[in-house]
Amino acid sequence: MVEAAPTDMVFIQQLSGELRKLFARPRTWMGYGAFLAMEALILTVYKLEASQERMRGMVERNGLEFSTYYSSLTITFMIMLLSMFLLGSIYFALVAGDIVAKENEDGNLRMVFARPISRFRLLLVKYTAVCLYTFSFVFFVGISGYAMAVAAVGWEGGLFVIEPKMKVFAAYPNWWEGAGRLALSAAGIGISMITLSSIAFMFSCFKIKPAAATIITLTILFVDMILQGFPFFKPYESYFVTWRMSAWVFLVEQYISWPKIIESFTFLAGLNVSLFTIGWLAFQTRDFKT
Amino acid sequence: MMLEAKNLSKAFGGKPALKNVGFSLGRGEIHGLLGHNGAGKSTTLGIILGMVAPDQGEVLIDGISVQEHRGKALRKVGAIFEAPAFYDYMTGWDNLKILMSYSGGFDGKSAREVVKRVGLEQRIGSKVRTYSHGMRQRLALAQALLPEPELLLLDEPTDGLDPEGIKWFRDFILELRQERGMTVLFNSHLLSEVEQMCDRVAILREGQLVFEGSVRNLADETPIYQADLETWSVAGPVVERFGGSVLQAGRIALPVSIDSAQVLEEWVKAGVRVREFSKVRRSLEDVYMEILDG
Repeated sequence: MVEAAPTDMVFIQQLSGELRKLFARPRTWMGYGAFLAMEALILTVYKLEASQERMRGMVERNGLEFSTYYSSLTITFMIMLLSMFLLGSIYFALVAGDIVAKENEDGNLRMVFARPISRFRLLLVKYTAVCLYTFSFVFFVGISGYAMAVAAVGWEGGLFVIEPKMKVFAAYPNWWEGAGRLALSAAGIGISMITLSSIAFMFSCFKIKPAAATIITLTILFVDMILQGFPFFKPYESYFVTWRMSAWVFLVEQYISWPKIIESFTFLAGLNVSLFTIGWLAFQTRDFKT
Repeated sequence: MMLEAKNLSKAFGGKPALKNVGFSLGRGEIHGLLGHNGAGKSTTLGIILGMVAPDQGEVLIDGISVQEHRGKALRKVGAIFEAPAFYDYMTGWDNLKILMSYSGGFDGKSAREVVKRVGLEQRIGSKVRTYSHGMRQRLALAQALLPEPELLLLDEPTDGLDPEGIKWFRDFILELRQERGMTVLFNSHLLSEVEQMCDRVAILREGQLVFEGSVRNLADETPIYQADLETWSVAGPVVERFGGSVLQAGRIALPVSIDSAQVLEEWVKAGVRVREFSKVRRSLEDVYMEILDG
């Protein structure tokens, strides 16, 4: 028998193997390419005269100086906000929806099940990989977006944020303060997006096709978001997942309301644990025929 | 016993797939698992690996219950499946690394030795999608051997291989048994392979075990004889008196306990002229088909 490595080392080996699988797939790199293209597009739009005028109006109406806030930090914030909403949801649902269901469809799982790893452990490794991937991808978007924005408008300037839906307005003329808040918001988006990945992951554990896991996840989130917008549901908006997922934006408020943020992130963490547990129970009770 | 399958029963959607199946493998034994498609072979293998939960019964590997302590029981097991599904977009080496991480950790030195042994050292750094079927089977063999198993489960491992590949595979498994005393459960449709490799066989029909015993016993259980004679109308009742039966094309079946010389003697006494009488050497395939035909 091969001498077994310590458990924590084995977990790291399993996790690095899972991440290697993610990064070895051409589709992963196509995803990175798609995001870079999206960032370039958003940046181009922000460079247009009309967009600049619109932004100037917004900034100056609030008594602020346009030249301070038409900056790489503000543009990066918008890149993150828009690309995560437009492309991020689809991409994360696709990656997490595939992680178990695709391996089952391709027959890889039966090779894994010939090994003495428990189903819980296997799912834990895969879920950890999904969480790390989701969280780090948001930073990739932030860093690459910032690099593009610096190339386009230079590095100087502050951060200007206006988010009417969540009623958030903030302006940081100082670069360091703005950059700090931008990094904090990237971490917040990362945490929020883990919930999206968790929903797709749970469906991926069911006996369904990978594409079905992705589509069901996106459907649930879009329905949640649409219902949340109905005036009837206004008093109950905090019960909607997408509202909780948007709570990260409070991290850029001038005075951070930590109780509000902690409440929402605790809600999301509880939801994530529940989704993982349901997925595991479904996976544990399934028969996998060779 | 290296493997004991006890009273395994399983139904899918109310349809029984296995009914009270039980068999065992002694250490160092090569045991065949035969049956038509849908006979329950894959379900049996699934239960042995803990991929399928039985409705009844359990599997013990070296005395450890797979159903109760799957992780511990499977530490001594390696498995190869028909058309093994690797991560095609990765190299053979990366595949071994990933699969071994699920077996308690990767050891580069052992992996290099096994890769060399299966003859993949030149291509182990290439992406699996560029491998031929034979190379994939070699990689499958390497991953199955890496945890240094005592029990090897082979599910149609030679399907799709050319005759040279089949021979290489057979010789390799026999070598492993000789060197390490490895126990092998061999599920295959290639009856000639089973006959050449296996000591014992279990035959499943519609989820039920219809035979379990040595390959030699199987062929000898109801000996068949070829007779060239006149007056079958006289010879037939003599055969039946001995508990045998007249088959087609001049063949007769006799119980193992009957000495064929006694039958010949009775025929001569009854005036039957016998031109030729000989025992037919039956292949596993002949016997298998007879069993499955009921």
